[in-house]
Amino acid sequence: MPDARVQSAIAHWAPRFVSNGVPLTDFEEVTAGVERWEDWCRAWSARAAVHEELGRKALADGYKLSAGGHLTRAAVCYHFSKFVFVIDYEQMKGAHRKAVECRNLALPLIDPPGERVTIPYEGKHLAGNLRKPAGAVKPPVVVMCMGLDSTKEEMDSNENVFLARGMATLAFDGPGQGEGEYEFGIRGDYEVAVKAVLDYVATRGDVDAARVGLWGVSLGGYYAPRAAAFDKRVKACIALSGPFEWVEYFDKLPELTRHTFQVRSRSRTLAEARERAATLTLKNVAKNITCPLFVVAGKQDGIVPWQEGERLAAAASGPVVRCFLEDGNHVANNRAYRYRSQSADWMARQFGVTPE
Amino acid sequence: MDAIVKAKKDPRVEAAISHWAPRFVINGVPLTDFQEVTAGCDRWEDWCTAWSARAAIHEELGNQALKDGFKLSAGEHYTRAAVCYHFGKFLFVNDARQMKQAHRKAVECRNKALPLLDPPGERVAIPYEGKHLYGNLRKPKGVARPPVVVMCMGLDSTKEEMDDYENRFLERGLATLAFDGPGQGEAEYDFAICPEYEKPVKAVVDFVETRKDLDTGRLGVWGVSFGGYYAPRAAAFDKRIKACVALSGAYQRSASFEGRPIINVEAFRVRSKSANLEEAGKVALRVSLKGIAKNITCPIYIVAGTQDRLTPVDAARQLAAEVSGPCVLSIVEGGNHVVNNLWYRYRDQTADWMATQLGAPRK
Repeated sequence: MPDARVQSAIAHWAPRFVSNGVPLTDFEEVTAGVERWEDWCRAWSARAAVHEELGRKALADGYKLSAGGHLTRAAVCYHFSKFVFVIDYEQMKGAHRKAVECRNLALPLIDPPGERVTIPYEGKHLAGNLRKPAGAVKPPVVVMCMGLDSTKEEMDSNENVFLARGMATLAFDGPGQGEGEYEFGIRGDYEVAVKAVLDYVATRGDVDAARVGLWGVSLGGYYAPRAAAFDKRVKACIALSGPFEWVEYFDKLPELTRHTFQVRSRSRTLAEARERAATLTLKNVAKNITCPLFVVAGKQDGIVPWQEGERLAAAASGPVVRCFLEDGNHVANNRAYRYRSQSADWMARQFGVTPE
Repeated sequence: MDAIVKAKKDPRVEAAISHWAPRFVINGVPLTDFQEVTAGCDRWEDWCTAWSARAAIHEELGNQALKDGFKLSAGEHYTRAAVCYHFGKFLFVNDARQMKQAHRKAVECRNKALPLLDPPGERVAIPYEGKHLYGNLRKPKGVARPPVVVMCMGLDSTKEEMDDYENRFLERGLATLAFDGPGQGEAEYDFAICPEYEKPVKAVVDFVETRKDLDTGRLGVWGVSFGGYYAPRAAAFDKRIKACVALSGAYQRSASFEGRPIINVEAFRVRSKSANLEEAGKVALRVSLKGIAKNITCPIYIVAGTQDRLTPVDAARQLAAEVSGPCVLSIVEGGNHVVNNLWYRYRDQTADWMATQLGAPRK
């Protein structure tokens, strides 16, 4: 019998993995072949290497589009090998380096292409992937906030939904996330990181800094509205399954999630992590959200109770769309067709780019 | 106790769950839909109803998106609806009335999606034996007179299942024309399975020649499963075909149906309009490339999976050995029928190859 952490992975993560780019057979075979959690990272990295090899071959043959597809799949598989694999820092870091390398290789090859950007932040840099829709002049841009275990390398399918509808995307790794996790711990006042990103966006002549939307997934579903409350340059916000007050159910979180938070918030003890968790709050903050807001929550969410979405919706001062899905899980990945295109269409309408 | 008392799932449904997940999902069924619908379906007799109910959800989302003016989303929802309706009836020959009803909905939803997609598509009617065959024609964006890939369906696939395959050609600058031939999709009511498939393909190529917006001089054929036999069969006869992709097709069938899943056998019997298996066996015997494949002079790309339980992998080797033109033989280790489980090992690769054969600029 696989250990409990592996079983929980198999039971809960298939829809997320697959809708974000992992081939179904890869998910079935890799999870079936992993008995102990300790083998998770190695098994996924081995599968990722298969896609990386296909990508490098396609590139050598001059098939760029195919190479971009293979390398994006490689990046997603490397990403999931290490996404909550905080038990072995060296392994995690090695797989992470490969995930970033593969997505970076893919960026110029995919349609529409992307570019890696570096965003000045606290004397160092945050890294992001910027993609622009084909043929648009100064398009609006959606700044995408990651969660506790997602990173910009997982975003291809989510980016494509916005790009197809005429919006640029800028997925970035903030403090405690992806490339930002080595130098910066998780911080509750995420508006500081978003401010740096929006300052950076304002320096770009090729996207419209007056039409900036925020999007956030999972813990990013807290970060995005948090930043929208502080930064009035944000004109619209989508929040997916984010907490309102993280500390209130911190002790009830799955062990893997809590442990990942402890590591990425740079807390030495669980008690310290709990203290840090208390800084992630929208209480007395959400009322300052005046831009239009689209809130998604799954009523079957076993990680963040869906009522957190209602607390956010009720507290915000601007127009709110509540997209609460009876049969949705965390981030409603099992019901992607009930919110991905809908929230992107909503964002497009906020910016007046809905095609006729 | 519960486990003992509870009736076991119908083996036909069990077979569906264990064999079809990769095909359904890569061809457009959301994974959770596959899991929930198959889990909720204990008897094969409920299969079509269960899938049609799920399809109706996507259809309704499409209606809503269209009403709200979100055309792209509507096209995606309708395409998902079409695929779910399609799989509701793809092998459901045990109930012609139910099958026909779900089929009508699949066609209706994909037709609604066609003008909304990016790139859009159009329904075309192809004159054939005094009646018509129907196809979906899509053209790549920004390419004047593109090359075109004629897509041949199999025993249970139809043009409504082709969105993913079409998109890979379209992205690479090739137009696609997926059509329902004799014994397939919309044509299965008027026309029985026709092992001499060069006849319908001739009608399709004749039709393509009437289109000023396509480059008839650069035409490829592609075929999946049974279509993996149809496409090379046509290429052997019609020299207007400049390249051929064959996925998991037969080389030569026997009159026997032994060892095949029962729903598969029944689909062949019904769609060949045979009263019994003996008659169906006679039709199956006409399925042959022996002595014919040598006339294939255009380049061909053959795909087969070593774990294919419907078409022995040797069929691919026999075909490859007999053709006269350049040949790529891709036998995928661990691949199932049509290698749907390892689609990333052939879908892009064959599309790139076809684009190269038909002279589309390398993407």
